[in-house]
Amino acid sequence: MTAIAAERYTGASIKRSEDPRILTGAGRYVDDIKLPGMLHAAFVRSPMAHARVLSVDVSAARALPGVVAVLTGAELEAITVPGPDALMALVGWAGPTPEFTLLATDKVRLVGDPVAVVVAESRYLAEDGCELVEVEYDDLPPVVDAAFALDPGSPPLFANLGDNIARLHSRHEFGDVSATFARADRVTDLHIDVHRHQNVPMEGRGCVASYDPDSGVMTMHASTQSVHLTKIAVAMRLGMEQDKVRVLAGDIGGSFGLKIGASREELAVAAASRQIGRPVKWVEDRGENLTASGQAREESFDVRAAVSSDGDLLGLDVKMVVDTGSYPGTGAMVPDLMEAMLPGPYKLAAMGFESIGAITNKATYVAYRGPWASETFVRERVLDLIAKDLGLDPVEIRQRNVALRTDPPAVMITGRPLVGVTAKESLERVAQLVDFPAFRRRQAQARAQGRYLGIGVATFIEAAPGPRSPEGPSGPMGLESMRLRLTEDGIVVLFTGQMPHGQSHQTTLAQIAADEFGVPFEQVRVVVGDSAVVPFGLTGGSRSATMTGGVALHGARQLKAKVLDFAADLMEVSAQDLLITDGNVWVRGDPASAISVTEVAQRAASGPSGDGAAELEVEATYDGGEGGWSGGTHCAIVDVDAETGIVKVERYVAVEDCGALINPAVVEGQIRGGVAQGIGAVLLERSAYGEDGTFQSATFMDYLMPTACDVPRIEIEHLETVPLDADVNFRGVGEGGMIVAPPTVVNAIEDALSPFGVRIYEQHLPPARILELIAEADPGGERR
Amino acid sequence: MADITLRVNGATRTGSPEARKTLADFLRDDLNLTGTHLGCEHGVCGACTVIVDGRAVRSCLMLAVQAAGSEVTTVEGLAPDGEHGELGPLQQAMWDSHSFQCGFCTPGFVMQATAFLSDHPDAGEQQIREALSGNICRCTGYQSIIDGVLLAAQRNRTLRNRTPRNRETLSEERR
Repeated sequence: MTAIAAERYTGASIKRSEDPRILTGAGRYVDDIKLPGMLHAAFVRSPMAHARVLSVDVSAARALPGVVAVLTGAELEAITVPGPDALMALVGWAGPTPEFTLLATDKVRLVGDPVAVVVAESRYLAEDGCELVEVEYDDLPPVVDAAFALDPGSPPLFANLGDNIARLHSRHEFGDVSATFARADRVTDLHIDVHRHQNVPMEGRGCVASYDPDSGVMTMHASTQSVHLTKIAVAMRLGMEQDKVRVLAGDIGGSFGLKIGASREELAVAAASRQIGRPVKWVEDRGENLTASGQAREESFDVRAAVSSDGDLLGLDVKMVVDTGSYPGTGAMVPDLMEAMLPGPYKLAAMGFESIGAITNKATYVAYRGPWASETFVRERVLDLIAKDLGLDPVEIRQRNVALRTDPPAVMITGRPLVGVTAKESLERVAQLVDFPAFRRRQAQARAQGRYLGIGVATFIEAAPGPRSPEGPSGPMGLESMRLRLTEDGIVVLFTGQMPHGQSHQTTLAQIAADEFGVPFEQVRVVVGDSAVVPFGLTGGSRSATMTGGVALHGARQLKAKVLDFAADLMEVSAQDLLITDGNVWVRGDPASAISVTEVAQRAASGPSGDGAAELEVEATYDGGEGGWSGGTHCAIVDVDAETGIVKVERYVAVEDCGALINPAVVEGQIRGGVAQGIGAVLLERSAYGEDGTFQSATFMDYLMPTACDVPRIEIEHLETVPLDADVNFRGVGEGGMIVAPPTVVNAIEDALSPFGVRIYEQHLPPARILELIAEADPGGERR
Repeated sequence: MADITLRVNGATRTGSPEARKTLADFLRDDLNLTGTHLGCEHGVCGACTVIVDGRAVRSCLMLAVQAAGSEVTTVEGLAPDGEHGELGPLQQAMWDSHSFQCGFCTPGFVMQATAFLSDHPDAGEQQIREALSGNICRCTGYQSIIDGVLLAAQRNRTLRNRTPRNRETLSEERR
């Protein structure tokens, strides 16, 4: 009977339970929180990229009516506990750890570095107060690019480091690199750049910190991907017991990796609330978000590729430099992920990878949807460039190099088995959906008329969660926990540490639990966003489909067993003979025996035989089961106007394999959203700095976001080829679109511009750059 | 401070906002209508869109005092028969189409599309895309939003075509 119920919800595009509230304006985002006596914070921010702070005069601001407090960097250090960035501390980062202060103290390190916080009766008054704070700066030479940062002569941003290296140089070799390059027919050397761009959730960062001096409890309303990580960060910095910090979160207006833990500003607001003894709200404006929340992806790669004359990619040797910006965190850690993932689904014989991280006077490098995505960009660009050299078709070179599904599975040269990977099938399916020969004919006709069409493909895999490691005691992503309870009202409640911010967990987890337990979808409730009641967890890393979907399934199974045990006593039958379907418990073969789950719950709550209430609650954990990979192949057809440089994405096809779909509409929304971000990254978005470190994209007039006219209809096909686990074959799909869309689109653009001989070694291709590329490749304009 | 009177979602409201206060902040802070969201505060993202005297307006670019005497509709005012929490036809179509994810841009899209559809009930996909290209969504890639608006327009056409005469014809055909 469970199988029939499963057909009802899991696998169907059940309408989201989140939607009625968000469609009617009844969502509760952090800026909607109003507390009695609440004050508002605004930050004084540095206009300089790199400067010594000589003095901060806050007297005029403090005197402004309505301003309650002004705190400087030094004052905040005095009332908080010094230490490194909480995230770096939590992951046990062993590399260089620069000084970390909530606000700038002795110097500022980026345009937008917070210098003082003004707390007032309204945001308007707080901003008035900011205008009255006088800061005296002494210019220092800005360190604006990674090359200068790595020059021993560059002025160190952090005195305690003495240089601008955030991640020490490292090199690892897999397989026999020198022998592989020695036997190659050809070795290609090239340099690839990925530009700085950023998350830009429609709701920026924000919090309301409310410290109660009587109880000593800090209640923090946060916009976060994990209430527990935020709690830990606040407790560490404020020197509080974790139990005295409660983090609450309601609806969250997107994040894409930005809102992990607590930012410097949020910690400063928490400290201010404790100091003042009143609630303080801070919600960043768009200028703050673009300037100072964090940025991602500025990496450069020197690549050597060892290739056979038949088009076998034998080996890669890559030197990576990551520009971590100021206050480095994630940027220092991300090269390890790129190294592990760079081989993708391909059978490389050897790989060398070295990396170094440079500290610059820019916004801090943060995680952004597929933080390691540049490895896919590099690899998929290299494959197309090699294919051009050898006169091979882009699908053909990939078909030639992808590992086949074998038993035992092929193993990535960096170590992980490619179990269940359907890269080859996805390439075949793309070739079927997009008629390449027909496109080539159309392309030739268009070229004859001066129109430049191009086609591009790219293939990726994503460890979501990744394969089970044979020797490991648990699965690939550690454990996921969930508490499940059947309430007296007969509601199955799931308490999860997931903190959805668009992922639809309140729907998808309920679908799984409803099927497994045997109640209607509406009888399941998913509780998130309260560190006092939900287990530890984090929404990120495309983790939740397998890990939380899995724990919801197994947890519902355990809770059902407990309920049936209780019902068996109640109904005087064996639990083995009982079923739950449609919210009723009944004896197999005897529909008339049915009693509702609600009635069972009420009987349990009132105590079965006078000896107290039965606890219909379980704590479940899940280790990821057999895990597995997500992945696929995308294909774009673009139309490039060689006169204006404008690129139009005419068609976009995504063939993806994320295992069994929980909710196809939700899965497809994730894919399309990621692809849209990838299209934006290539055609529009760039976090731009001037040579003096000024920030040049602090508004939506300068930081261009893709609109409904820039993103085409995206055709999606699902492969659900390989079940690996007995029960849980849902795999993560949150990041793939953003990982693979940039190389897909760039490959298509290069194909369109092939009549000019254009080769592309970068990711950001706005119209002006397209025109430059054409002019550089075809200086006399003969080929136009 | 200036005393203003305006109609919001069909009710007369008064207030005394500072001259510099935006309509968006007035709606959110003074009238507690937090359905209107602020996504950029410089008129680009459209999250704060409300309908003022029949036209879609960015409430972050309008001062509250400028709305004195106007008829303002926010996302909270779309519920049919004023039933709180009820979905209007466009909202229903968007729910059916899985239009949104995080929901932050949602009120702006709903209001922009409401104003657009009332003037262009027969709009096709390209027109709708252009009409909504002043609203930014970071989650969805827009297709599901466009599909929601198209579905609402189609349902509306079906309703309009069912004039009493048509209905009789239909029921006769059924017999």
